[in-house]
Amino acid sequence: MYKKQHGYDGLLIVIEGTDGSGKSTQVNLLSQYIKEQCFGCTVSQWKTSRLISGVINEAKERNMLNTTTFSLLYAADYTDRLENEIIPALKAGFVVLMDRYIYTAYVRDSVRGHDIKWVKNLYSFAPTPDLVFYLNTPPDVLIKRLLAKDGALDYFESGRDIGLSSDIYKSFEIYQKRCLDEYKKLEKEYNFIELDGTKPKEEIHFLIREKVCEILNEDVVK
Amino acid sequence: MLRFSKKHNYSGVMICVEGIDGSGKTTQIELLDNWLKSKGVDVILTQWNSSELISNTTKKAKKKNLLSGRTFSLLHAVDFADRLERTIKPALKAGFVVLADRYVYTAFARDVAREVDALWVRNMYSFAIKPDMTFYFDVSPKDSLERICANRKPKFYEAGMDMKLSNNPYKSYVIFQTRILEEYRKMVDEFGLIKIDAMESIRSKQKFIREKVEELLVENKIL
Repeated sequence: MYKKQHGYDGLLIVIEGTDGSGKSTQVNLLSQYIKEQCFGCTVSQWKTSRLISGVINEAKERNMLNTTTFSLLYAADYTDRLENEIIPALKAGFVVLMDRYIYTAYVRDSVRGHDIKWVKNLYSFAPTPDLVFYLNTPPDVLIKRLLAKDGALDYFESGRDIGLSSDIYKSFEIYQKRCLDEYKKLEKEYNFIELDGTKPKEEIHFLIREKVCEILNEDVVK
Repeated sequence: MLRFSKKHNYSGVMICVEGIDGSGKTTQIELLDNWLKSKGVDVILTQWNSSELISNTTKKAKKKNLLSGRTFSLLHAVDFADRLERTIKPALKAGFVVLADRYVYTAFARDVAREVDALWVRNMYSFAIKPDMTFYFDVSPKDSLERICANRKPKFYEAGMDMKLSNNPYKSYVIFQTRILEEYRKMVDEFGLIKIDAMESIRSKQKFIREKVEELLVENKIL
């Protein structure tokens, strides 16, 4: 019998991966599927709290953040969403889909030179997810997808704020590789279910759906 | 524990004042600021929750009374991190005397009074610089209330109304500030704060502070 660690009536499912790895596509497909199965389902995205996300965007635009402030702002955003969206939904028996979770912070902050112990402490109150899917996608595929989608590479997603290289393409490559390395380190510790992000989206969705159904079929959502 | 304890190696000096509302900190640090400036010392004064990045967000959220203890705590940490990197560290590097009206001890006292885990807050602030000297003004919550609320009602968060301790803001203020006070008193030994009786006269407190600060600045070759 599956046992939830967070103890709420709902279910907490995380999809992780770097930008362009296909997370949002998968979150949407899964959300639709879960609703079809007659479960309440809600999605919470990284950096969307009404309280904080505007501040983060503004500060990013003006490029005025140091890495510590950056980390703390994201933690504040997460906490606000946790208390106002995530926990209430879990209590009400929803399946909550997280487009990125605390692992995103672990990865980004480690790459930016923070002690992982410090970052883990910041998020030590976070509920443990029931499932964590990790879309592993190599940088060359990510670059193509992001360029096709946005026409340019994002300043922060390319790690330009930490001065890796003045060439944005190279900076992106180095930064994303470091992120992938950090994800790799977390994989075992947090039982990530690794998925090949280069596969067609339907194929990935099918694998995710299978795992989610295993739990849903155990009747653990009240 | 990731405790902040690093002694900084900057040429400047960092001095803080701490204590609950109405303990007279601000009066004292302004007198100190004045005196140092008159001696030709480069001084900069920084206040808690004053960074342009976040302080308005915090103030707005406070007005709507929608902050949990932990979010409250994180927002203040954001403010502090921003001021530390953009004001405090550069000023210390440039050899300034940095005067801080409230420092991380305020977070340690208030957040814990809001039932946030003490170790969690201390770990979070482990990136902070250890001040060279901290004066703590000890005042009873009743005296504090008299000073703060001579002409107004205690505000929602300063009275800890979010903690639902009492529906009466005056009662709530005393209960909540008593909790904060207990945390401060524990920190006197933990962090080596210099305790000052807030009920002494303004003049005698300032004389004592100037004496201590003068010693410190001579030691650091600033005076």
